[in-house]
Amino acid sequence: MRIEKCYFCSTNVYPGHGSAFVRNDAKVFRFCTSKCHKNFKMKRNPRKVRWTKAFRKAAGKEMTIDSTIEFEKRRNVPVRYDRDLIQTTVKAMKRVGEIRARRERAFFKHRMAAAREKQKAHRKRALDGAKLDVKLHLPTSAESSQTKTKILVPVKANSALIQGDGHSMGMETD
Amino acid sequence: MGRLRRSRAHHARRDVHRASRTRVMTRHLDQIQDIDLDPTNRAALEAQPINYELPGLGQHYCVECAKYYETDSALQSHWKSKVHKRRLKELRVPAYTIEESERAAGLGRENRRPIASTSASVAPMDMVVEPLVV
Repeated sequence: MRIEKCYFCSTNVYPGHGSAFVRNDAKVFRFCTSKCHKNFKMKRNPRKVRWTKAFRKAAGKEMTIDSTIEFEKRRNVPVRYDRDLIQTTVKAMKRVGEIRARRERAFFKHRMAAAREKQKAHRKRALDGAKLDVKLHLPTSAESSQTKTKILVPVKANSALIQGDGHSMGMETD
Repeated sequence: MGRLRRSRAHHARRDVHRASRTRVMTRHLDQIQDIDLDPTNRAALEAQPINYELPGLGQHYCVECAKYYETDSALQSHWKSKVHKRRLKELRVPAYTIEESERAAGLGRENRRPIASTSASVAPMDMVVEPLVV
């Protein structure tokens, strides 16, 4: 049984799952889901799509150089079954998994610590900038705002809306 | 007077859905980088024999964009276009490959050649059992 990797997001593709695209030069592109397949058809670059493993590794969000990652390899040499060897391998896999989880945790903490410093500095800069921009106005006195002067609107002498005086809503005749 | 047209509103993106069909699929970026841009291959692609099936008898081909043009003037104006320049920019960085997707997943490759049959049974899985240092 061979577990393949998705071309787009690099997750595991187990036998009987996902789909594959075979290019006319016999290269096999495997996809875990239709989502990844569609993104491939849209000619997106996985290095620029933020949810893919390729992006996370390229942007330094995950461990790339570590001895625990070195174990998973494509070995094209068949190994004769050996009970002891399998037992030790399974034991080692569990142990390696533990160590890897611990290291990933440490890596994450380290990354977040650096990010927090950056965030703080950024916020401080933003706040200082905002302070400089604000202009203070003196509060206007209550009296001056309350007194209202009456504005007289001149009334038109003859309106077309008022009947009589020879003016009506009809046509004006000289 | 209505709203004035905004600038930078078009990105020379036309017929995206039609262009994404499998039957119009052309060469991928990695194929162009590894094969087509090689000087000898490039020369061969630019001087193709007359083919009645292809646009412009296959005489006006843009290697970077893997596209045939009808006339020489069409090809010349394409070289000045936004689409072509964008393509050149894309080709400047190494293309994403299947190997890169496997490396991102943490799947390495065994570079050692298969060992002779006497020691074959011991060779590859030994790596797993080596002592670990945290």
